[in-house]
Amino acid sequence: MSYKIPMGPYHPGLEEPYKLDMICEGETVVDAELNIGFNFRGIEHLAETRNYVQVIALMERVCGICSFIHTLTLCQAMEKLTGLEAPPRAQYIRVVMAELERLHSHVLWAGIAAKLMGFKTMFMTCFALREKVMDVLQAISGNRVNYSMNHVGGVNRDIEDPIALVPMIDELEREMMRTVIPIFTTSSTARSRCAGIGVLTREQAISCAVVGPTARASGISQDLRRDAPYAAYAEMKFEVPVEQAGDVRARLFVRALEIIESCNILRQALARMAPGEISSAGEKLVFASGTATSRVEAPRGEVLYSVTWKENSRNPARVHVRTPTFANMPAVRWMVRGARLADTPLIQASIDPCYSCTDR
Amino acid sequence: MIALENLREKLGVAEPWVESHGAHWMNPGSASVRQVAKAMNAAGARFVTITAYELPADTGFRLEYHWDLQGWLLGVPFQIAGKSPDSAKSDSANHESAKIDSIVDLCEAADWIEREVHEGFAIDFTGREYVPLMLKPGDKPGVNLRVAPEQDEPASCPQGQQEVAK
Repeated sequence: MSYKIPMGPYHPGLEEPYKLDMICEGETVVDAELNIGFNFRGIEHLAETRNYVQVIALMERVCGICSFIHTLTLCQAMEKLTGLEAPPRAQYIRVVMAELERLHSHVLWAGIAAKLMGFKTMFMTCFALREKVMDVLQAISGNRVNYSMNHVGGVNRDIEDPIALVPMIDELEREMMRTVIPIFTTSSTARSRCAGIGVLTREQAISCAVVGPTARASGISQDLRRDAPYAAYAEMKFEVPVEQAGDVRARLFVRALEIIESCNILRQALARMAPGEISSAGEKLVFASGTATSRVEAPRGEVLYSVTWKENSRNPARVHVRTPTFANMPAVRWMVRGARLADTPLIQASIDPCYSCTDR
Repeated sequence: MIALENLREKLGVAEPWVESHGAHWMNPGSASVRQVAKAMNAAGARFVTITAYELPADTGFRLEYHWDLQGWLLGVPFQIAGKSPDSAKSDSANHESAKIDSIVDLCEAADWIEREVHEGFAIDFTGREYVPLMLKPGDKPGVNLRVAPEQDEPASCPQGQQEVAK
Protein backbone atom coordinates (compact mmCIF):
# COMPACT_ATOMS: atom_id res chain seq x y z
CA MET A 1 0.00 0.00 0.00
CA SER A 2 1.36 3.42 -0.94
CA TYR A 3 0.99 6.52 1.21
CA LYS A 4 1.90 10.17 0.84
CA ILE A 5 4.39 11.96 3.07
CA PRO A 6 4.28 15.76 2.75
CA MET A 7 7.51 17.65 3.30
CA GLY A 8 6.83 21.36 3.49
CA PRO A 9 5.52 23.89 2.63
CA TYR A 10 8.44 25.08 4.72
CA HIS A 11 11.30 22.66 4.41
CA PRO A 12 12.46 21.77 7.93
CA GLY A 13 16.11 21.36 6.99
CA LEU A 14 16.64 23.89 4.23
CA GLU A 15 14.22 26.48 5.63
CA GLU A 16 12.89 27.06 2.15
CA PRO A 17 9.25 27.57 1.13
CA TYR A 18 8.33 24.64 -1.05
CA LYS A 19 6.44 21.41 -0.64
CA LEU A 20 7.43 17.97 -1.78
CA ASP A 21 4.76 15.29 -1.50
CA MET A 22 6.45 11.93 -1.56
CA ILE A 23 4.50 8.83 -2.47
CA CYS A 24 6.06 5.97 -0.56
CA GLU A 25 5.82 2.23 -0.37
CA GLY A 26 7.27 1.28 2.97
CA GLU A 27 10.46 3.32 3.38
CA THR A 28 10.95 3.68 -0.37
CA VAL A 29 9.88 6.74 -2.35
CA VAL A 30 8.17 5.72 -5.60
CA ASP A 31 7.27 9.19 -6.87
CA ALA A 32 7.11 12.81 -5.78
CA GLU A 33 5.08 15.92 -6.51
CA LEU A 34 6.57 19.39 -6.21
CA ASN A 35 4.70 22.52 -5.20
CA ILE A 36 6.25 25.99 -5.30
CA GLY A 37 5.03 29.58 -5.29
CA PHE A 38 4.45 29.99 -1.55
CA ASN A 39 6.53 33.19 -1.48
CA PHE A 40 5.89 34.42 -5.01
CA ARG A 41 6.86 38.10 -5.09
CA GLY A 42 6.04 39.20 -8.67
CA ILE A 43 9.48 40.80 -9.07
CA GLU A 44 9.41 40.54 -12.88
CA HIS A 45 6.17 42.51 -12.96
CA LEU A 46 7.43 44.97 -10.35
CA ALA A 47 10.57 45.59 -12.44
CA GLU A 48 8.41 47.21 -15.11
CA THR A 49 7.58 50.00 -12.66
CA ARG A 50 11.18 50.77 -11.73
CA ASN A 51 13.63 53.00 -13.60
CA TYR A 52 17.08 51.91 -14.74
CA VAL A 53 18.69 52.75 -11.40
CA GLN A 54 15.97 51.29 -9.18
CA VAL A 55 15.63 48.07 -11.19
CA ILE A 56 19.21 47.09 -10.29
CA ALA A 57 18.49 47.42 -6.56
CA LEU A 58 15.26 45.47 -7.06
CA MET A 59 16.84 42.56 -8.94
CA GLU A 60 19.62 42.36 -6.33
CA ARG A 61 16.85 41.15 -4.00
CA VAL A 62 15.92 38.16 -6.20
CA CYS A 63 18.43 36.09 -4.24
CA GLY A 64 20.19 36.70 -0.96
CA ILE A 65 23.17 34.53 -1.81
CA CYS A 66 23.68 35.29 -5.52
CA SER A 67 22.73 38.97 -5.26
CA PHE A 68 25.84 40.09 -7.16
CA ILE A 69 25.23 37.58 -9.95
CA HIS A 70 21.71 38.88 -10.53
CA THR A 71 22.81 42.50 -10.87
CA LEU A 72 25.75 41.43 -13.05
CA THR A 73 23.47 39.58 -15.45
CA LEU A 74 20.96 42.42 -15.52
CA CYS A 75 23.64 45.09 -16.04
CA GLN A 76 25.26 43.07 -18.84
CA ALA A 77 21.89 42.93 -20.62
CA MET A 78 21.31 46.66 -20.05
CA GLU A 79 24.82 47.43 -21.31
CA LYS A 80 23.93 45.73 -24.59
CA LEU A 81 20.94 48.05 -24.95
CA THR A 82 22.90 51.19 -24.10
CA GLY A 83 26.01 50.31 -26.10
CA LEU A 84 28.16 50.72 -23.00
CA GLU A 85 30.96 48.36 -22.08
CA ALA A 86 32.44 48.08 -18.63
CA PRO A 87 36.17 49.04 -18.56
CA PRO A 88 38.73 46.21 -18.15
CA ARG A 89 39.29 46.92 -14.45
CA ALA A 90 35.57 46.72 -13.79
CA GLN A 91 35.45 43.39 -15.65
CA TYR A 92 38.16 42.02 -13.34
CA ILE A 93 36.36 43.30 -10.27
CA ARG A 94 33.21 41.56 -11.50
CA VAL A 95 35.15 38.28 -11.77
CA VAL A 96 36.51 38.70 -8.22
CA MET A 97 33.05 39.37 -6.79
CA ALA A 98 31.44 36.53 -8.77
CA GLU A 99 34.03 34.01 -7.56
CA LEU A 100 33.82 35.18 -3.95
CA GLU A 101 30.07 34.74 -4.20
CA ARG A 102 30.60 31.22 -5.57
CA LEU A 103 32.89 30.43 -2.61
CA HIS A 104 30.31 31.87 -0.22
CA SER A 105 27.51 29.83 -1.79
CA HIS A 106 29.45 26.56 -1.96
CA VAL A 107 30.71 26.84 1.63
CA LEU A 108 27.25 27.69 2.89
CA TRP A 109 25.85 24.72 0.98
CA ALA A 110 28.55 22.46 2.44
CA GLY A 111 27.52 23.55 5.93
CA ILE A 112 23.86 22.82 5.31
CA ALA A 113 24.68 19.47 3.70
CA ALA A 114 26.82 18.60 6.74
CA LYS A 115 23.92 19.47 9.03
CA LEU A 116 21.59 17.22 7.04
CA MET A 117 24.13 14.40 7.26
CA GLY A 118 24.13 14.77 11.03
CA PHE A 119 27.64 16.23 10.94
CA LYS A 120 27.07 19.21 13.23
CA THR A 121 30.70 20.07 13.92
CA MET A 122 31.32 20.27 10.17
CA PHE A 123 28.35 22.60 9.89
CA MET A 124 29.99 24.95 12.41
CA THR A 125 33.35 24.73 10.62
CA CYS A 126 31.76 25.61 7.27
CA PHE A 127 29.85 28.54 8.68
CA ALA A 128 33.00 29.87 10.36
CA LEU A 129 34.70 29.72 6.95
CA ARG A 130 31.74 31.41 5.35
CA GLU A 131 32.27 34.30 7.76
CA LYS A 132 35.79 34.70 6.40
CA VAL A 133 34.52 34.80 2.82
CA MET A 134 31.95 37.40 3.86
CA ASP A 135 34.72 39.41 5.52
CA VAL A 136 36.49 39.62 2.15
CA LEU A 137 33.24 40.59 0.41
CA GLN A 138 32.70 43.25 3.06
CA ALA A 139 36.26 44.52 2.68
CA ILE A 140 35.60 45.08 -1.04
CA SER A 141 32.01 46.26 -1.10
CA GLY A 142 31.26 47.45 2.42
CA ASN A 143 28.34 45.01 2.55
CA ARG A 144 27.92 41.40 3.58
CA VAL A 145 24.83 40.33 1.60
CA ASN A 146 23.56 42.80 -1.01
CA TYR A 147 26.80 44.30 -2.28
CA SER A 148 25.50 47.10 -4.55
CA MET A 149 28.58 46.67 -6.72
CA ASN A 150 27.16 46.82 -10.25
CA HIS A 151 25.81 49.62 -12.35
CA VAL A 152 25.30 49.87 -16.09
CA GLY A 153 28.76 50.39 -17.56
CA GLY A 154 30.90 49.32 -14.62
CA VAL A 155 31.12 48.83 -10.89
CA ASN A 156 30.49 51.17 -7.97
CA ARG A 157 33.61 50.46 -5.91
CA ASP A 158 37.22 49.86 -6.78
CA ILE A 159 39.55 47.29 -5.21
CA GLU A 160 42.30 49.72 -4.32
CA ASP A 161 44.91 47.15 -3.31
CA PRO A 162 44.08 43.82 -4.98
CA ILE A 163 47.30 42.11 -3.88
CA ALA A 164 46.38 42.74 -0.23
CA LEU A 165 43.44 40.38 -0.67
CA VAL A 166 45.59 37.47 -1.90
CA PRO A 167 46.66 36.33 1.63
CA MET A 168 42.98 36.20 2.62
CA ILE A 169 42.26 33.98 -0.39
CA ASP A 170 45.29 31.80 0.43
CA GLU A 171 44.10 31.38 4.00
CA LEU A 172 40.62 30.47 2.82
CA GLU A 173 42.01 27.87 0.46
CA ARG A 174 44.28 26.41 3.16
CA GLU A 175 41.30 26.01 5.48
CA MET A 176 39.25 24.37 2.75
CA MET A 177 42.06 22.01 1.81
CA ARG A 178 42.84 21.18 5.44
CA THR A 179 39.33 20.51 6.74
CA VAL A 180 36.29 20.85 4.50
CA ILE A 181 37.40 19.11 1.33
CA PRO A 182 39.21 16.10 2.91
CA ILE A 183 36.35 15.40 5.31
CA PHE A 184 33.68 15.65 2.64
CA THR A 185 35.60 13.58 0.11
CA THR A 186 37.19 10.91 2.28
CA SER A 187 35.24 10.46 5.51
CA SER A 188 33.22 7.28 5.84
CA THR A 189 30.25 9.24 7.25
CA ALA A 190 30.04 11.46 4.19
CA ARG A 191 30.56 8.48 1.86
CA SER A 192 27.88 6.36 3.50
CA ARG A 193 25.33 9.19 3.39
CA CYS A 194 26.11 10.39 -0.14
CA ALA A 195 27.44 7.61 -2.37
CA GLY A 196 24.92 6.02 -4.71
CA ILE A 197 21.93 8.05 -3.51
CA GLY A 198 19.86 10.57 -5.45
CA VAL A 199 21.25 9.46 -8.78
CA LEU A 200 20.46 11.60 -11.83
CA THR A 201 21.78 9.82 -14.90
CA ARG A 202 23.39 11.72 -17.76
CA GLU A 203 20.34 10.96 -19.95
CA GLN A 204 17.93 12.28 -17.31
CA ALA A 205 20.11 15.35 -16.77
CA ILE A 206 20.03 16.11 -20.52
CA SER A 207 16.28 15.55 -20.66
CA CYS A 208 15.66 17.87 -17.70
CA ALA A 209 18.22 20.41 -19.05
CA VAL A 210 19.73 20.83 -15.59
CA VAL A 211 22.50 23.37 -15.10
CA GLY A 212 25.53 24.13 -12.96
CA PRO A 213 27.09 21.63 -10.52
CA THR A 214 23.99 19.41 -10.84
CA ALA A 215 24.68 18.95 -14.57
CA ARG A 216 28.43 18.64 -14.14
CA ALA A 217 27.97 15.91 -11.51
CA SER A 218 25.98 13.92 -14.10
CA GLY A 219 28.77 13.96 -16.68
CA ILE A 220 27.73 17.09 -18.62
CA SER A 221 30.62 19.45 -19.17
CA GLN A 222 28.93 22.83 -19.38
CA ASP A 223 30.03 26.08 -17.80
CA LEU A 224 29.25 29.49 -19.26
CA ARG A 225 32.51 30.91 -17.87
CA ARG A 226 34.29 28.68 -20.39
CA ASP A 227 31.63 28.17 -23.09
CA ALA A 228 30.35 31.74 -23.40
CA PRO A 229 32.81 33.87 -21.41
CA TYR A 230 31.66 37.18 -19.95
CA ALA A 231 33.39 39.84 -17.81
CA ALA A 232 37.12 38.91 -17.80
CA TYR A 233 36.68 35.11 -17.76
CA ALA A 234 38.18 34.74 -21.24
CA GLU A 235 41.52 35.74 -19.68
CA MET A 236 41.35 33.25 -16.81
CA LYS A 237 42.76 29.74 -16.85
CA PHE A 238 40.69 27.20 -14.97
CA GLU A 239 39.31 23.69 -15.16
CA VAL A 240 35.65 22.72 -15.21
CA PRO A 241 35.25 19.76 -12.81
CA VAL A 242 32.99 17.02 -14.13
CA GLU A 243 31.95 13.83 -12.34
CA GLN A 244 30.14 10.89 -13.90
CA ALA A 245 28.28 9.18 -11.04
CA GLY A 246 25.34 11.61 -10.85
CA ASP A 247 24.79 10.94 -7.14
CA VAL A 248 24.91 13.24 -4.12
CA ARG A 249 28.61 12.46 -3.62
CA ALA A 250 29.38 13.52 -7.21
CA ARG A 251 27.60 16.86 -6.61
CA LEU A 252 29.64 17.26 -3.46
CA PHE A 253 32.90 16.49 -5.30
CA VAL A 254 32.11 18.95 -8.09
CA ARG A 255 31.49 21.76 -5.62
CA ALA A 256 34.62 20.88 -3.61
CA LEU A 257 36.74 21.03 -6.77
CA GLU A 258 35.03 24.26 -7.82
CA ILE A 259 36.07 25.85 -4.54
CA ILE A 260 39.71 25.20 -5.45
CA GLU A 261 39.17 26.50 -9.00
CA SER A 262 37.51 29.63 -7.63
CA CYS A 263 40.55 30.31 -5.46
CA ASN A 264 42.76 29.90 -8.57
CA ILE A 265 40.61 32.32 -10.56
CA LEU A 266 40.59 34.81 -7.69
CA ARG A 267 44.40 34.81 -7.47
CA GLN A 268 44.69 35.32 -11.24
CA ALA A 269 42.14 38.15 -11.28
CA LEU A 270 43.70 39.93 -8.31
CA ALA A 271 47.24 39.60 -9.67
CA ARG A 272 46.42 40.76 -13.21
CA MET A 273 43.87 43.43 -12.47
CA ALA A 274 44.14 46.05 -15.16
CA PRO A 275 44.63 49.66 -14.07
CA GLY A 276 42.21 52.37 -15.07
CA GLU A 277 38.63 53.47 -14.68
CA ILE A 278 35.89 51.36 -13.11
CA SER A 279 33.00 52.85 -15.04
CA SER A 280 32.23 54.03 -18.54
CA ALA A 281 28.77 55.34 -17.75
CA GLY A 282 27.88 58.96 -18.42
CA GLU A 283 25.35 61.03 -16.54
CA LYS A 284 22.31 59.78 -18.41
CA LEU A 285 21.74 56.47 -20.10
CA VAL A 286 20.08 56.18 -23.47
CA PHE A 287 18.46 52.83 -24.20
CA ALA A 288 17.81 51.47 -27.67
CA SER A 289 14.49 49.74 -28.30
CA GLY A 290 14.73 46.00 -28.27
CA THR A 291 15.47 42.91 -26.25
CA ALA A 292 18.86 41.95 -24.83
CA THR A 293 19.74 38.68 -23.16
CA SER A 294 22.58 37.91 -20.83
CA ARG A 295 23.71 34.73 -19.14
CA VAL A 296 26.04 34.18 -16.21
CA GLU A 297 27.29 31.03 -14.47
CA ALA A 298 25.97 31.50 -10.94
CA PRO A 299 27.08 29.16 -8.13
CA ARG A 300 23.99 26.99 -8.74
CA GLY A 301 24.17 27.19 -12.54
CA GLU A 302 23.09 29.34 -15.44
CA VAL A 303 21.11 32.54 -14.79
CA LEU A 304 19.45 34.18 -17.79
CA TYR A 305 18.02 37.68 -18.00
CA SER A 306 15.96 38.81 -20.95
CA VAL A 307 15.45 42.57 -20.78
CA THR A 308 13.24 44.57 -23.15
CA TRP A 309 13.31 48.34 -23.41
CA LYS A 310 11.36 50.90 -25.37
CA GLU A 311 13.30 53.90 -26.60
CA ASN A 312 13.16 56.99 -24.37
CA SER A 313 11.60 55.00 -21.55
CA ARG A 314 13.09 55.12 -18.08
CA ASN A 315 11.62 51.74 -17.14
CA PRO A 316 12.13 48.33 -18.72
CA ALA A 317 9.15 47.02 -20.68
CA ARG A 318 9.85 43.47 -19.55
CA VAL A 319 12.42 41.66 -17.42
CA HIS A 320 12.40 37.88 -17.47
CA VAL A 321 14.65 35.91 -15.13
CA ARG A 322 15.38 32.19 -15.49
CA THR A 323 17.12 31.07 -12.33
CA PRO A 324 19.14 27.85 -11.95
CA THR A 325 16.85 26.28 -9.36
CA PHE A 326 13.93 26.72 -11.76
CA ALA A 327 15.84 24.46 -14.17
CA ASN A 328 17.21 22.03 -11.59
CA MET A 329 14.33 21.43 -9.21
CA PRO A 330 12.09 19.36 -11.55
CA ALA A 331 14.94 16.83 -11.70
CA VAL A 332 14.55 16.11 -7.96
CA ARG A 333 11.54 13.99 -8.87
CA TRP A 334 13.92 11.62 -10.69
CA MET A 335 16.50 11.77 -7.92
CA VAL A 336 14.16 10.72 -5.12
CA ARG A 337 12.51 7.83 -6.99
CA GLY A 338 13.70 4.62 -5.39
CA ALA A 339 15.45 6.47 -2.55
CA ARG A 340 14.91 5.79 1.13
CA LEU A 341 12.68 8.37 2.75
CA ALA A 342 15.43 9.30 5.23
CA ASP A 343 17.77 10.24 2.37
CA THR A 344 15.38 12.65 0.65
CA PRO A 345 16.27 15.83 2.62
CA LEU A 346 19.90 15.43 1.62
CA ILE A 347 18.95 14.60 -1.98
CA GLN A 348 16.89 17.78 -2.22
CA ALA A 349 19.70 19.77 -0.65
CA SER A 350 22.23 18.30 -3.08
CA ILE A 351 21.03 20.55 -5.91
CA ASP A 352 21.48 23.56 -3.58
CA PRO A 353 17.93 24.78 -4.18
CA CYS A 354 17.02 28.43 -3.80
CA TYR A 355 13.34 29.22 -3.60
CA SER A 356 13.95 32.89 -3.12
CA CYS A 357 15.11 32.83 -6.75
CA THR A 358 12.46 30.42 -7.97
CA ASP A 359 9.61 32.38 -6.38
CA ARG A 360 11.05 35.62 -7.74
CA MET B 1 28.33 28.22 -37.02
CA ILE B 2 27.86 25.08 -39.13
CA ALA B 3 25.47 23.68 -36.55
CA LEU B 4 23.32 26.80 -36.76
CA GLU B 5 23.17 26.66 -40.56
CA ASN B 6 22.26 22.98 -40.45
CA LEU B 7 19.38 23.81 -38.13
CA ARG B 8 18.12 26.51 -40.47
CA GLU B 9 18.31 24.24 -43.51
CA LYS B 10 16.58 21.41 -41.68
CA LEU B 11 13.65 23.69 -40.84
CA GLY B 12 13.50 25.14 -44.35
CA VAL B 13 14.06 28.67 -43.07
CA ALA B 14 15.34 31.07 -45.73
CA GLU B 15 16.34 34.01 -43.55
CA PRO B 16 19.80 33.78 -41.95
CA TRP B 17 20.47 33.78 -38.23
CA VAL B 18 20.85 37.27 -36.85
CA GLU B 19 23.05 37.98 -33.84
CA SER B 20 21.54 40.67 -31.67
CA HIS B 21 22.17 41.76 -28.07
CA GLY B 22 23.46 38.45 -26.74
CA ALA B 23 21.54 35.86 -28.75
CA HIS B 24 21.35 34.39 -32.24
CA TRP B 25 17.83 34.83 -33.60
CA MET B 26 16.01 32.86 -36.24
CA ASN B 27 12.66 33.81 -37.70
CA PRO B 28 10.97 30.40 -37.90
CA GLY B 29 8.77 31.39 -40.84
CA SER B 30 6.22 28.65 -41.36
CA ALA B 31 7.98 26.17 -39.05
CA SER B 32 5.94 25.30 -35.97
CA VAL B 33 7.29 25.36 -32.45
CA ARG B 34 7.17 21.57 -32.37
CA GLN B 35 9.25 21.33 -35.56
CA VAL B 36 11.77 23.72 -34.05
CA ALA B 37 11.87 21.71 -30.80
CA LYS B 38 12.46 18.47 -32.71
CA ALA B 39 15.26 20.08 -34.73
CA MET B 40 16.85 21.43 -31.55
CA ASN B 41 16.67 17.98 -29.94
CA ALA B 42 18.29 16.42 -33.00
CA ALA B 43 21.08 19.03 -32.89
CA GLY B 44 21.71 18.34 -29.19
CA ALA B 45 20.67 21.81 -28.09
CA ARG B 46 19.74 22.39 -24.43
CA PHE B 47 16.40 24.03 -23.72
CA VAL B 48 16.80 27.19 -21.65
CA THR B 49 13.50 29.03 -21.26
CA ILE B 50 10.49 30.74 -22.80
CA THR B 51 10.03 34.48 -22.37
CA ALA B 52 6.49 35.76 -22.86
CA TYR B 53 5.55 39.32 -23.83
CA GLU B 54 2.12 40.80 -23.95
CA LEU B 55 1.86 42.87 -27.13
CA PRO B 56 0.04 46.21 -27.11
CA ALA B 57 -3.55 46.78 -28.19
CA ASP B 58 -4.66 43.18 -27.91
CA THR B 59 -2.48 42.10 -30.81
CA GLY B 60 -1.55 38.96 -28.94
CA PHE B 61 1.64 37.67 -27.41
CA ARG B 62 5.22 37.07 -28.40
CA LEU B 63 6.90 33.95 -27.06
CA GLU B 64 10.67 33.72 -27.32
CA TYR B 65 12.00 30.18 -27.03
CA HIS B 66 15.63 29.89 -26.04
CA TRP B 67 18.03 26.99 -26.48
CA ASP B 68 21.77 26.69 -25.88
CA LEU B 69 23.88 25.07 -28.56
CA GLN B 70 27.62 24.78 -27.88
CA GLY B 71 27.56 27.96 -25.78
CA TRP B 72 25.49 29.98 -28.27
CA LEU B 73 22.19 31.25 -27.00
CA LEU B 74 19.57 30.68 -29.68
CA GLY B 75 16.30 32.59 -29.83
CA VAL B 76 13.25 31.64 -31.85
CA PRO B 77 10.26 33.99 -31.57
CA PHE B 78 6.64 33.04 -32.17
CA GLN B 79 3.84 35.56 -32.29
CA ILE B 80 0.42 34.29 -31.36
CA ALA B 81 -2.95 35.97 -31.57
CA GLY B 82 -5.21 36.24 -28.59
CA LYS B 83 -6.87 38.72 -26.31
CA SER B 84 -6.30 38.96 -22.64
CA PRO B 85 -9.26 37.94 -20.47
CA ASP B 86 -9.43 41.53 -19.16
CA SER B 87 -10.14 42.98 -22.60
CA ALA B 88 -12.70 40.28 -23.23
CA LYS B 89 -14.99 41.69 -20.55
CA SER B 90 -16.62 44.03 -23.04
CA ASP B 91 -16.79 41.45 -25.80
CA SER B 92 -16.86 38.06 -24.21
CA ALA B 93 -18.35 36.39 -27.30
CA ASN B 94 -15.17 37.09 -29.26
CA HIS B 95 -12.80 36.14 -26.49
CA GLU B 96 -10.44 33.37 -27.32
CA SER B 97 -7.33 32.71 -25.29
CA ALA B 98 -3.98 32.67 -27.03
CA LYS B 99 -2.84 29.17 -28.00
CA ILE B 100 0.37 27.49 -29.01
CA ASP B 101 1.39 23.84 -29.14
CA SER B 102 3.05 22.45 -26.05
CA ILE B 103 6.53 20.95 -26.49
CA VAL B 104 6.60 19.13 -23.16
CA ASP B 105 6.38 15.70 -24.78
CA LEU B 106 9.46 16.59 -26.86
CA CYS B 107 11.28 18.57 -24.19
CA GLU B 108 10.65 17.66 -20.56
CA ALA B 109 12.56 20.75 -19.45
CA ALA B 110 9.84 23.03 -20.84
CA ASP B 111 7.29 21.77 -18.31
CA TRP B 112 7.67 24.35 -15.54
CA ILE B 113 8.09 27.37 -17.80
CA GLU B 114 5.02 26.43 -19.88
CA ARG B 115 3.04 26.18 -16.66
CA GLU B 116 4.43 29.51 -15.44
CA VAL B 117 3.65 31.30 -18.74
CA HIS B 118 0.16 29.80 -18.71
CA GLU B 119 -0.42 31.08 -15.19
CA GLY B 120 1.15 34.48 -15.85
CA PHE B 121 -0.28 35.27 -19.28
CA ALA B 122 -3.26 32.89 -19.65
CA ILE B 123 -1.69 31.36 -22.77
CA ASP B 124 -2.90 27.86 -23.48
CA PHE B 125 -0.19 25.36 -24.42
CA THR B 126 -2.29 22.81 -26.26
CA GLY B 127 -1.79 19.09 -25.94
CA ARG B 128 -0.80 18.97 -22.30
CA GLU B 129 -2.40 18.77 -18.90
CA TYR B 130 -1.91 21.49 -16.33
CA VAL B 131 -1.06 21.06 -12.73
CA PRO B 132 -0.86 24.42 -10.93
CA LEU B 133 2.73 25.56 -10.48
CA MET B 134 2.50 28.87 -8.64
CA LEU B 135 -1.24 29.46 -8.52
CA LYS B 136 -3.05 28.72 -5.31
CA PRO B 137 -6.70 27.68 -4.97
CA GLY B 138 -8.96 30.50 -6.18
CA ASP B 139 -6.33 32.12 -8.42
CA LYS B 140 -6.95 32.36 -12.16
CA PRO B 141 -4.40 32.22 -15.01
CA GLY B 142 -3.30 35.64 -16.24
CA VAL B 143 -1.89 37.14 -13.05
CA ASN B 144 0.87 38.99 -14.96
CA LEU B 145 -1.39 40.55 -17.59
CA ARG B 146 -1.58 44.30 -17.68
CA VAL B 147 -4.59 45.75 -15.95
CA ALA B 148 -6.57 48.92 -16.59
CA PRO B 149 -4.50 52.10 -15.96
CA GLU B 150 -6.45 53.16 -12.89
CA GLN B 151 -5.51 49.86 -11.26
CA ASP B 152 -1.88 50.06 -12.31
CA GLU B 153 -0.60 51.71 -9.15
CA PRO B 154 -1.44 50.12 -5.84
CA ALA B 155 -3.15 52.47 -3.44
CA SER B 156 -0.49 51.81 -0.81
CA CYS B 157 2.34 52.97 -3.10
CA PRO B 158 3.99 56.01 -1.41
CA GLN B 159 3.67 59.32 -3.28
CA GLY B 160 7.39 59.58 -3.97
CA GLN B 161 7.53 56.11 -5.46
CA GLN B 162 4.49 56.79 -7.63
CA GLU B 163 6.31 59.74 -9.17
CA VAL B 164 9.42 57.68 -9.82
CA ALA B 165 7.40 54.79 -11.20
CA LYS B 166 5.91 57.08 -13.84
